Amino acid sequence: MGQSVLILLAIFIPVLWGLVLLVKPEFKNRKALLTVSGAGLIIAAVLGCAVIFGGEQEVLLFSFGKNMNIFFQVDAVSRLFATVVTVVWVLAGFYSFEYMKHEKEEKRYFGFYVLVFGILYALVFAGNMITYYLFYEMMTLLSMPLILHSKTKEAIMGGLKYMLYSLFGAYMVLFGIYFLNKYALTLNFTVGGALDMQAVAGNEGILLVAAFAMIAGFGVKAGMFPLHAWLPTAHPVAPAPASAVMSGIIVKMGVLGILRVIFSLFGADFIRGTWVQTVWLVLSLITVFMGSMLAYREKITKKRLAYSTVSQISYILFGMALLVPEGLTGALLHVIFHAVIKSTLFMCAGAIIYKTGKTSVDELKGIGKEMPITIWCYTFAAAALIGFPPASGFISKWYLAVGALESGIATFSWLGPVVLLISALLTAGYLLPITVNGFLPGKDFDYGSLKKKEPVKMMLIPIMILAVLTILLGVFPTPLTEYIAGIVNMVL
Amino acid sequence: MNIIMCIMVFMPIVGAFLSYMIGRKNKTGRDLFVCDLTIVEFVCSLLLVFSAGSSEKILFVIPEVCGMGLQFTVDGFRAVYAAIAAFMWMMTTLLSKEYFGHYRNRNRYYLFLLVTLGATEAIFLSADLYTTFIFFEIMSLASYVWVAQDEKVASLRAAATYLAVAVIGGLVMLMGLFLLYHQAGTLQIDLLHEACQGKNVYVAAVCLLVGFGAKAGAFPLHIWLPKAHPVAPAPASALLSGILTKTGIFGVLVISCQILMYDELWGAVILLLGVVTMFLGALLAVFSIDFKRTLACSSVSQIGFILVGVGMQGLLAEHNALAIRGTLLHMVNHSVFKLVLFMLAGVIYMNLHKLDLNEIRGFGYKKPLLAAIYLMGALGIGGIPMFSGYVSKTLLHESIVEYIHGMEAGEFISAFFSAGDMKLIEVIFLVSGGLTLAYMCKLFVAVFLEKNNDAVVQKSYEERKNYMTKCSAFALTVSAVLIPVMGILPYATMNRIADMGQSFMGHVHMEHEVHYFTWTNLKGSVISILIGAVVYFVVVRGFMMEKQADGTTKYVNRWPEKLDLEEVLYRPLLLKIVPTVGSFVAGLFDVFTDGLVVFFRKTIYRDSPRVTELEEGNEMTHALGTFLNSLEAIGNCFIWKENPRKMDFEHWFALKYSAFKENVSFIGRSLSYGLILFCLGLCATLIYLLIYTVV
Repeated sequence: MGQSVLILLAIFIPVLWGLVLLVKPEFKNRKALLTVSGAGLIIAAVLGCAVIFGGEQEVLLFSFGKNMNIFFQVDAVSRLFATVVTVVWVLAGFYSFEYMKHEKEEKRYFGFYVLVFGILYALVFAGNMITYYLFYEMMTLLSMPLILHSKTKEAIMGGLKYMLYSLFGAYMVLFGIYFLNKYALTLNFTVGGALDMQAVAGNEGILLVAAFAMIAGFGVKAGMFPLHAWLPTAHPVAPAPASAVMSGIIVKMGVLGILRVIFSLFGADFIRGTWVQTVWLVLSLITVFMGSMLAYREKITKKRLAYSTVSQISYILFGMALLVPEGLTGALLHVIFHAVIKSTLFMCAGAIIYKTGKTSVDELKGIGKEMPITIWCYTFAAAALIGFPPASGFISKWYLAVGALESGIATFSWLGPVVLLISALLTAGYLLPITVNGFLPGKDFDYGSLKKKEPVKMMLIPIMILAVLTILLGVFPTPLTEYIAGIVNMVL
Repeated sequence: MNIIMCIMVFMPIVGAFLSYMIGRKNKTGRDLFVCDLTIVEFVCSLLLVFSAGSSEKILFVIPEVCGMGLQFTVDGFRAVYAAIAAFMWMMTTLLSKEYFGHYRNRNRYYLFLLVTLGATEAIFLSADLYTTFIFFEIMSLASYVWVAQDEKVASLRAAATYLAVAVIGGLVMLMGLFLLYHQAGTLQIDLLHEACQGKNVYVAAVCLLVGFGAKAGAFPLHIWLPKAHPVAPAPASALLSGILTKTGIFGVLVISCQILMYDELWGAVILLLGVVTMFLGALLAVFSIDFKRTLACSSVSQIGFILVGVGMQGLLAEHNALAIRGTLLHMVNHSVFKLVLFMLAGVIYMNLHKLDLNEIRGFGYKKPLLAAIYLMGALGIGGIPMFSGYVSKTLLHESIVEYIHGMEAGEFISAFFSAGDMKLIEVIFLVSGGLTLAYMCKLFVAVFLEKNNDAVVQKSYEERKNYMTKCSAFALTVSAVLIPVMGILPYATMNRIADMGQSFMGHVHMEHEVHYFTWTNLKGSVISILIGAVVYFVVVRGFMMEKQADGTTKYVNRWPEKLDLEEVLYRPLLLKIVPTVGSFVAGLFDVFTDGLVVFFRKTIYRDSPRVTELEEGNEMTHALGTFLNSLEAIGNCFIWKENPRKMDFEHWFALKYSAFKENVSFIGRSLSYGLILFCLGLCATLIYLLIYTVV
């Protein structure tokens, strides 16, 4: 034990902390609530870091029958995802300390926020499919209160849509797990796949269906067509920091699920060259195009960003579907970059809503003069998402496109990069107008009545840290790419 | 050497942010800082030029930055262009101080000015296309802000065009890089030629050409130049036209001289592109009646001349010395011309805030210094002997002539052109040269020789003696004097530049010395001058000037409004048609699942309560009843006035319906009861039979 107890602590302390926050009677003042929730976040983050830096380890918590274990394991992938979760979750948490001021029932919000933090650690450290599935369902249910926080009709409908879509996806996953349980040697995540090839022989057809069901099922969370529709409904109604982590982190758990299923259970070789790979590629490319096109058309800032998430997550899925080292590298890089970038963008959108109440893109003329730092951060993040060098998105897209060409899959090897570039153009089309109109309001802009509306430091600093990361990670990506190369070499 | 390169690239970028911070406190301090910085930059670049002669190969690598690392190198060509860039920045910055005197947002301008300087230097010094691309994008984005600087509607629109061309060009170029990297396995410029041998890299090359060509201003992506230049501040226009377009040419050269060296097909494509660009630009320039727009179209045309040179390099293959030197020198010359001419436009604009020829007419009357500066630029660009443009144009012309002679002698066999075609190209070349003279002449006459139609305005123009500060005058004069100096002493100046730069384009030594001032070479220039004179008198004076009622003349824009590629094709296509179709398709995908859910909810699940729950009956009885009720009401009004009918058909139908339903259900139940009994009986029989058979 020893070290590995830390894993359990990192998971269950935030869960308990959140539960206590939820059942505890109202705090006397706001400061006490923030102190307690902040302490919860920091303790969880410290424990998380201890696990991340503690090396590879595993712990079996509970076993109820053959193959049915609650089992945690820290490997290279979990450390990577855990790092992203920690950084974004904590920063968005601090951001919400200020943002949630104008919302009611903050205690509920922070309670669930801290609780889900623990669940996320459980997900990234999960060592087998049973554990992953268990906590995946928990995450769905427990993160729903974050979406329907305002309890307006739209918010509740958005939350319900999120839940129903996610549950539908989860059941598809469950369907796959039944088959895996029969044909796999173990449900523990094993490098290179865990299929029992003797048992599989002759049953490839049904297993491919199972694999596809699992991809599509986790794809719901990742916003893959045709089950992406919850994202644009749920994001605009949720509070901005919730949208930030929803887009930044929670959708990535779908990606992690697919990563685990394909690369650690089925094995990439089993999927390569089958119809599953083709359909997966087609769906992801459709989503890439559809998401950006709809974002381009959308006028509500947060909804636009939600569609953008739909599109960007499918970059990741496309990269994974290629099943080549460069593609997977690009996908994993984009997981990190997109998490950082999209949470920055949502936080900027939130800051604008918080200070000015403007929700539509058309109202943002001259916003750069009112909130220069926020819009600068927005611009950095936007440049990174479009993929302007040297910002981070460029690096991941480079790997994705090179991966597509290297893969040599007929049609997709060139169609992929073309779609990615068209989508990048649309990304420029939907992100840059805010910067342009914000900073260049036109000759007639009334500078006299200009008021500085920069948000307070509590909001600004998390945004700034993330915005700087969007650039820095692009300029100095080598530590990341090397780390990811290690993962990729193992699984492919 | 490495340190110098490092300074040249990163000092301006770091300095940009410093200048912004200084500028928030102290505006004069900032101006001084920016000036000093550009001067230091220029000194560094001179050091680079003087040390570039050494033959050892220099490769300065900053590993791991941006994934693949940044690589810089320096050779004669790169050093020359780095120096020209630094020189232009220095000169325009000297002018900027006065020009921007009353502008808002100057901090922003200087910030992006310096960022662009660093990026531009980095492009010219880059050793691999990855580095080139990174800084190319930075340059494009940063220079966008220049165009939008004054934030007028027209500026913002032009800036949007500029940004769109830059972004689209950048993405297509990126596609080219993906393909090239995939096929060649390297992006290092020196190694590309070897790595691409025997591979079909045309698709990649075309993608790269779109990206670089868009920046260079080649047809049909030249649209940003005539829009962006008139609205951008003059110092910025000088840089956009003089040096930013050359970064595009730099890229085209990399494709033509490395990736596809001596490739005839490629040479032919570039040549045709160049011919169209050259002629079209000149034509647009002749018809323009805006000072800066004329200069902008002229830039398009001159880029066409340069592209012709690049194309000839491909066609002439190993014998391309003339074309190489011509291309290189025309690039250098054009940078200097446009520096001078746009700065001069800046002087006019900062005095008058107008650029329309009818309004600025007569401004230069009795301003000898200004006229002299203009003349140097104009005669240079027109290719008049004793001015530098003559030398480069002669070389370009000679390269075409050499090819024609070679074809006639059977030395060159072209799959794409006959000797007749090449002669036509030569004619177009000379005509474009003539058009150049015509539009330059148009500007000169209008601004410096004629008087304004309004005598009061003319008087105020003539009274303006302090139209520029000493600092600005210094910048203009120094830049302008370069042109005749280079033109008069071509062997000492221009040949040296050509010797330094030509190895970049794959040439080592000259086969025979060119004597610039011989009759054969002068002939081309004379023909152009004659054509220019004819065009000026026929088209400009005859067609474009209109007599007013009071006897004065006025310049009129005779270019049909409709003939604007951007308005006719690009904007409708990219802003209307493609997004509409795209979002329709995407919208279909988007509602697919939700639509399915709603469909099932409405059909199978039917959870939604009816909007108006009927008290009795069903929709049909309700509809029928209401209809008959209204008929009855109409009847009551007209027919049965005395004793109106009071039958409620709706209720009546509902009663009938419920009776009907009752009957149906009674029948149904009876039937099912009967069926059940029948079934039971059947079952009993079956069981009996079963038991009977078994037992």
